[in-house]
Formats: sequence, structure tokens, C-alpha cells
Amino acid sequence: MKLLTSTALALILATTSAGAQTNITYLLWGSPQEGAVWNQIAASFEAAHPEIAVTVEVADWDSYWEKLRVQMAGGTPPDVFAMDAPLYPDWQSRGVLLNLQPYLDADPALLDGVYPITLQAYKTAEGIFGLPRDFQTIVLYYNKDMFDAAGVAYPTAAWTYADLRAASKQLTLDKDGDGTTDQWGFWDGGYDMEPFWGSLVWAYGGEVVDVANGKTLIGSPEAAAGFQVLADMWLVDKSMPTEQQLAQYGWDGFLSGVAAMGVSGHWSVPEYSTVAFKWDIAPMPIGPAGRATGVNSAGFVIAKDSKNPDAAWEFVKYAFSDAGQTELAKIGLAIPIRESVATSDAYLKQATPINHALYVEALEYAHLKPVFKGYEEWSGAVGDALLLAWTGEVPLAEALAEAVAAGDDALARNN
Amino acid sequence: MGRLRPLGAERWWVLAFLLPSLVGLVLGTFGSIFATIGISFTDWDLLSPAIPAGISNYAGLPDDRLFMKSLVNTLAFSGLYVPLTVVLSLAVAMGLNRNTPGISLFRTAFFLPTVSSPTAVGLLWTWIYAEDHGALNAMITALGGDPVSWLGPKVALYSIVIVNVWGAIGGGMIIFLAGLQAIPKEYYEVARLDGATAWQRLRFVTLPALAPSMFFQTVLTTINAFQAFDYIYILTRTGNGNSTMPTLVFSIYRSGFRFFRMGDAAAQAVVLTAMIFVLTAVYFHLQRRWGEPP
Repeated sequence: MKLLTSTALALILATTSAGAQTNITYLLWGSPQEGAVWNQIAASFEAAHPEIAVTVEVADWDSYWEKLRVQMAGGTPPDVFAMDAPLYPDWQSRGVLLNLQPYLDADPALLDGVYPITLQAYKTAEGIFGLPRDFQTIVLYYNKDMFDAAGVAYPTAAWTYADLRAASKQLTLDKDGDGTTDQWGFWDGGYDMEPFWGSLVWAYGGEVVDVANGKTLIGSPEAAAGFQVLADMWLVDKSMPTEQQLAQYGWDGFLSGVAAMGVSGHWSVPEYSTVAFKWDIAPMPIGPAGRATGVNSAGFVIAKDSKNPDAAWEFVKYAFSDAGQTELAKIGLAIPIRESVATSDAYLKQATPINHALYVEALEYAHLKPVFKGYEEWSGAVGDALLLAWTGEVPLAEALAEAVAAGDDALARNN
Repeated sequence: MGRLRPLGAERWWVLAFLLPSLVGLVLGTFGSIFATIGISFTDWDLLSPAIPAGISNYAGLPDDRLFMKSLVNTLAFSGLYVPLTVVLSLAVAMGLNRNTPGISLFRTAFFLPTVSSPTAVGLLWTWIYAEDHGALNAMITALGGDPVSWLGPKVALYSIVIVNVWGAIGGGMIIFLAGLQAIPKEYYEVARLDGATAWQRLRFVTLPALAPSMFFQTVLTTINAFQAFDYIYILTRTGNGNSTMPTLVFSIYRSGFRFFRMGDAAAQAVVLTAMIFVLTAVYFHLQRRWGEPP
């Protein structure tokens, strides 16, 4: 209802004062709730810039990318749109994004106080074609009720992957005694490197991909040792639900209350806040090469064919500013990209009473989720091959060899 | 039999009324076909101008893992789906080709899947096949058996063929029912007088008379098999929107709309069309041979 009202309000604002105004559109993926917050941000922006009217459009993740392609191909791209950092090169390299370098050169202080790792993804030889909007690090979520019931100690910062595996095994139960498991210790889809296996590979001293040389690196002995943990949890301990089992519970095993632990980003916090059980977060476990997690950002980009690039830039600049980031922190889905906001009460004192600073502290040991042209195809090729190991169809070593070959194919095709 | 032909001014009216469909056919269907063929000889990512690529998109298909996997899946699926659908819908049509009271109820029951939304029905089947709380496994465990991972790697193909055949029997049944009811009753009376057995009546009266329906139904089923997507995707999709059993149509969609490779996607679509075309030609040849009187 709130969204409807604010959308209606935005529409009225857009139509009644259309005369001397510049209209821009901002397309993003997300929930209607996110759209509502973005409408508020747009309203604050319009209050400061009465000459510009912003129309916010929200689509869910899958239809977002199709909508964007169709609008692009039709010659009517949104002025500003959201970009997932790993997919940014796919769009940037095809010349449809506006180079923001001239704007940044005119306003060099703008990037001060922004977490550098979040900017890294958008830098290219020709300039910066996008700015991070917010970012995510991955932490461990655990169901306190399940730990209490099973008498297992909560995860700590000292946990290793061996501890994770042991606890996961202890928390896997057949509660009604019918011979089938109805509570698992841990869940993950095992497909994309974010949220889980990327961190695992890094914590075991492996690397994921060397794009410059077109090499997928997850076949190394170090990476394989990391993957072995996952394979053992799935196939030996059976302490993780299978893909088919997860499908029965709407994929998120933690949210549906059948898995005691899961790994995810800050994006899960609003959804997890609706559950009946008590939960908390802990840092990712430690591996032989230390602790590791992944960092990924969502960003803003401006279409090269935007008819109002200056107005679009003003909007991006506002949402990128302290004021905009403070409002954005209210969504509770992500971490602000400015240190001043990420360490302020707007982010740290959110309704959900968990240690939000943990996500920011994770930057100390975080690796950037790879950003390169063809990421989606590479990720699909590697994920498809790995899936066969998690179902036990092929041995892990064989699946990894196939994942590397298929991944390298995808890299070569997007060269 | 004299054929009815429009006369004089009537011809113009016929043309005028057909025009909307013709425009749609020429621009929409033929336009898309020619555009697809054209795109298949280019490298095009939807965003930047297409670059001529010769036959490289076709030459690269055997090295495309997703395409080859999808091709194998689609062929395996079609190999089971086409004969099963044709045989079962013929059997159902024969069973229901009688005038007992309440027969239309049975016909409706078999036809229902054809008019139901594949998404809704697909979701229903995910529940039937679900590993832990599924209807099928509940029955099996109640009878003392071990639960089966119906959509797991070992049996997923068969589970999926069952759903698709179930969904297609109704459509095939209607075609065969129409064919069966068009066979003059005198043929059977004569055959009986000549002392033909039930099997001989089927072999020498029913089946030859049904040859055109069989041909039509086999072609249609083959096309559907090669284009199968909805049930398969709903039943085998993974958490991130991929599928454990990608089909050709899914591969075309992914290559073109997700991976920015429209040229490759178009080449795959042309190969798919060519395969359907070749199979149709084979059926046509068989029908002509089989349709001739013995």
C-alpha cells in the first residue's frame, strides 16, 4: 500500500510539474519494499533538485535483465540502472554505459571515504563507468534454537571448517524418528561461488580464476581440498540437504527452518527477521590459509544513450552521498559503501539486533568476487559441472576437471 | 466431388479477410525465420552492431558444452516421449471410442491436462515427485519401500517423460478419436463377415485408416518433443534458475538472452528446426509407403 501511495505520489509529481522539469528513470532489481525506499530517496533528491523528476522502476532479478536488454535494444534505456558488479564488464565492454570519469575528474573528493575494494570492480583502462551503490560480505548464520536443542556450542570467531563440519553433523537429526532426516546442519546451493565455495577455496589457499590468462583455477590441490569439505558434508556426513530436498523448502534451508546454519550476505537480514526462531551471525570459519569471505557490490550505471546524463549524474551523486547512503541503509539489505555511514548508527543500529559491524569488519579478510566479461556464462559452466559432484554422480576430482575445462571454454568464448 | 471456389468479387473479400492473418504470417513467422537464419551467420550481442561471422557459429556448436548436453537431453527425451505419446494416446482413443453413458466424462478427464497451465501442473508434479514430502514417496514408504529421488540424476529423465506424456495424451486422443469416428462402420461389418479377428480388424482396417492421423500426430508430437521446455524446466530447475536437465530451447534462451550470444543462439535454433524438418520428411516418406494398399 505504502509503495502504491508513494508510486502514485511520484507519478503525480512527475506529471503535474512536467513543464520545465527533466525526467529521468531509475531501474533496479529488488522487492517492492526496496522500491518504496528508493521512492523516498528519489523524493528527498527531488526536494533538493526541483528541476529533476525521478521515476523509480523495480523488477525482480530475473525479469530485470530481460527488461534491460529489451529497453536497450529498443533504444529507450533507463537513464540510471542498477548493476551487479560481476556482470558490469559484460555491459561496459559493449559500449552501452556512460563514462563517468569526466564527472569524477570535476569532483575528485567524491570518492573519499568510499571502501576501496568496492570501487575496484568498476575501474577500467578507459575510465570508471559505474559507482558502487552498496555492498555485501558473506557471514555465517546460525539458528540458536537448533543449537540449544542439540546442546551444541554456538559458532565462534575461532571456528575452523573442521568445527563447522563437526557441528553440522551433530545438528543433522531425524526428529520424528521416521528414518529420514528432517533437520540438517548446514545448507548451500553449491552452485555460484558466492556465497559459499569461493570463501572455502580462498580459506584453503586456492584461487578461483585468472581472467587475464583465461584460466579457471579451482582445480588446484588447495582449492580441491576446500571443495572436499563441501563434498564430505554432502555425501559422507549427509549433513546438507540435496538440491531436490532444498527445492521442497523454497531453496533457502535456513529461512525455512530446516538447516541450522547457512552462509549469506546482509541481503538476507530483512527476510530472516521475519522468522519465528532466534538466530545470530558469526564470521566465516578459518581454513588452513586463514579466514576468507567474498565481497560483492551492486552499483549504479548511466546509459550512454541517456538523454539527460547530467540529471542522471546528479541523482547518482546524491544516492552515493552521505545523505543518500544513510537513507539507503534503512532498507537493511546491504552495507553502505561510505565508511562514515557504515560506522554510523543508521547502519549499526538497525531494527534487527545483530552485530552489523561484523559484515564491515569482514572487509579485512575479504576477496573481491571476480568481475569479468562473461561472468554469468563462466559461473553457469562451472556451476553445472560442480553440481554433478554434489549429487554424487561423478567423483569430485572428475567434476573439478570438467568445471575447469568448461570454465576455460566460457572464458575463451568471451575473450 | 466438385470443390467450392470463390467467384468474382467474392475473391477480393476472401483476400481481405485473410489479409490480417497473412500479414502476421509473412511479417511475424516468415520474418522471424529469415531473421534467425540471418543472425545465425553473425556475432551479435543485442547491444552492439552484428558482425558477419560466416559459418563459425555452426562450426562452434560441437564444442559448445551446454548445447551438446542439451542436444543429448532433448534426443533422449524425444526418443521416449514420441513413441509413448503416440501409442498411449491411440490406446486411450480406442478405449474411449464407444457410446457408453458417461464417456464424455472420461474424455474430459484425459483432455484436462492439455488445457491446464503447465506452470501450475508442473508445480503439482514437483510435489508429487518431492523426495521427502512427496505424494509418490509417501505411498511407497507406506507400502514398506524405500523413497526414490524421482528428480535426482538417475531417474529424472523417466519422471519427466511421464509428466510430459501425461500432459500430451489428451491432445493426441482428440486427433485419434476424430480419425476413428471417421472410419465407416461398414468396413468393420464387412471384415467381420469375412471372418477377420479383432487383431486383423485392427491391423487391416483401423490402422491403415488412421494413417493420416498417425502421421499428423507423430509430426506434431516430434515438434513438441524438440521444443519441450515448461514441465522440464519447472521440475529440474536449480536454486539459481538453471536446470539439471537443460533442453535445446533452454540452451537457446540462455545463450542468447543471458550470455549475450545471439548468433550462437540463432544457429542452435536453425539446427533445431533442421532436425524437425528432416524428421518430418522421414515421416512423410514412411506415410506414403505405409499408406499404400498392401
